[in-house]
Amino acid sequence: MLKKRVIFTLLYDNGSFMLSRNFRLQKVGNLEWLKKNYNFSKLSFSIDELVLLDVTRTNKDHQKFLSHVRALSEVCFIPIAAGGGVRDIELAHRLINNGADKIVINSLVGKNMGTIDNIVAELGSQCVLASVDVKKVKNDYKVFTENGTVEQSYTVQEWLQKLAEVPVGEVYLNSIDRDGTGQGYQKELVEFIPDDFQLPIILSGGAGKYQHFINGLEDKKVDAVATAHLFNFIGNSLEDSRTALLNNGFNLAKWDVDICESIKDCFSVSENNQNE
Amino acid sequence: MKVPQVSLIDYGVGNLWSVVSAIKYLGAKVDLVSDPNKIASSSVLLLPGIGSFRKGMEDLKNTGIDKAIIHAVKDNNAKILGICLGMQLMGSYGTEDGGAEGLGLVPNKVERFDISEIDGNKIPHVGFNVVDFSERQGLFKDFTDSSDFYFTHSYRMLVEGISGRYATCIYGKEFLAAFQINNIYGTLFHPEKSQTNGLLLLRNFLQD
Repeated sequence: MLKKRVIFTLLYDNGSFMLSRNFRLQKVGNLEWLKKNYNFSKLSFSIDELVLLDVTRTNKDHQKFLSHVRALSEVCFIPIAAGGGVRDIELAHRLINNGADKIVINSLVGKNMGTIDNIVAELGSQCVLASVDVKKVKNDYKVFTENGTVEQSYTVQEWLQKLAEVPVGEVYLNSIDRDGTGQGYQKELVEFIPDDFQLPIILSGGAGKYQHFINGLEDKKVDAVATAHLFNFIGNSLEDSRTALLNNGFNLAKWDVDICESIKDCFSVSENNQNE
Repeated sequence: MKVPQVSLIDYGVGNLWSVVSAIKYLGAKVDLVSDPNKIASSSVLLLPGIGSFRKGMEDLKNTGIDKAIIHAVKDNNAKILGICLGMQLMGSYGTEDGGAEGLGLVPNKVERFDISEIDGNKIPHVGFNVVDFSERQGLFKDFTDSSDFYFTHSYRMLVEGISGRYATCIYGKEFLAAFQINNIYGTLFHPEKSQTNGLLLLRNFLQD
């Protein structure tokens, strides 16, 4: 039986990794910081999947983002989904060739379905993840695109119906209202997912503690929970959260995090020690 | 023990970085090789791959890498690990995309999951799933009974006909997740995407 997932999302803005609150961005550190101070490589052993989003608002430097995708793919051993500004098959290919396993699309939905068809034809639907940013407007939950700046005429329910006809592999459902707040997921969004919806759902926006992961994953319709908060799960908190989820009976993949140290460089060490 | 030197076969298919990184993480050395002569004289080979079986075989044949692999494995007893499509290509025949003969290192055919036998599950099979081992030796040394690995595929081999160590996964019906027959190893899952389980398995391959 397939496992549920805990996903970590890194928001990238022109060379920096960002904290986001209701889509307002704050610079936290660069790649060097992420690897050295934040110990990202260790943290990655407590998640199932990594999402990398280029949220640079103006003049995206794709090449620079690609070099970050590649650098991160070298320090973690999990599937990576990358995107942000994917408008054509060419960038999709470049992402894949730089270490991404899946492509994230967002604003392309509703705008250029032909391009989505092309990407899916070449990479397969399992390689394409549609992210959906949702915000409550009066009594409706509306979809926003272009980094949350453009309000669509569709509600989340209508957008999901639209996505069911698009050949994407899964849906990343993100709450702009809860983004970065740590107040927990916007569970109302899950109620809008049709019962017969076929695509896996990743719930995002608002996780502040492991109980929020539980709250998300205990819903049958939710296949994965994500957090993009760089500080809500620091230190061993993500590893502890994972353990807590497993102890609570959630069907997550299991591996021994502790052996990551002992097998690291096991062959180069053996040369010096003559033993193993 | 000498530091293993891995030749990662580069025949133009997709993302090799994760595999390279995983080998380096273990402290082993890895080179990308596409020259058939170098492949033929390598002692540790890794055959990765994504995409369709027919296209993959075409690429191997057009470059002469297919013969180089067979020579290394059969004549020089080089060990080889096929990953995902790489494992599939080791089979006798693949039905994907019009069909093609495989390398024939194992006798099994590679066929698409039959929708009628996968119990309402979706195709492709994507995500971490549970793998069980026939014995916990060699490629499967130091694992517990069941271990989770990351899969993404629509085609599979069945277990029947595999005369060595093997591992299975159930997706509606049981299929072959990995095998080790003497110097020939394959994993349908991605060890380079399977956290410490995958790293441990790659260590076993290099150490075996």
